[in-house]
Amino acid sequence: MTARDDQIRRVLAELDAHIAEVEASVTVLKALLADDEAPGDEGPE
Amino acid sequence: MARELRNAAKGSGEDVAAHHGLVKMIPQWERGNRAPRERYRLLYLKIFKDALGDMSHSMGLATDLAIRLAEVRSRAGSLPGSGEIRALEASALAQPRKAMTPAQIRALAAEAITQLHKVADRIAELSALLADDAAGEGKP
Repeated sequence: MTARDDQIRRVLAELDAHIAEVEASVTVLKALLADDEAPGDEGPE
Repeated sequence: MARELRNAAKGSGEDVAAHHGLVKMIPQWERGNRAPRERYRLLYLKIFKDALGDMSHSMGLATDLAIRLAEVRSRAGSLPGSGEIRALEASALAQPRKAMTPAQIRALAAEAITQLHKVADRIAELSALLADDAAGEGKP
């Protein structure tokens, strides 16, 4: 494996971690909004 | 080739002709004037088998890298932009939440945008590395 391959793998690993962070934060934000859309227990019958 | 044969012979304990003898015999084998003896054929096999083994290992690593690259690029491509994250933040802040305070929501959105910038930076770094590779391949 060349030094360049190592460098590419390192950047890929960092990229992977940053993407996972964004995905996790967006998932939480979307989950908050999904709570609004979910049918509530307290609604009129 | 003579050096390769001698090295392969050294590794397997085979006895081969002296260097100048090999240098004389190899062109005759290559032209088909003479057939190499079995021990030389076996040494040739060993040399090319090792070379192919190295090549297939390198190809495996390159394939693995290409698959990971495609995977990460596809995930990066499906991420929302910072505008979309701001819109999600605004919607989440539009009414009080039991699960999170407004400060936590703002911090979460800000962190997502920070990470998004880091994604862009890493993609730029990766593109530069791959462009160097492509330029290197084009060189004679």
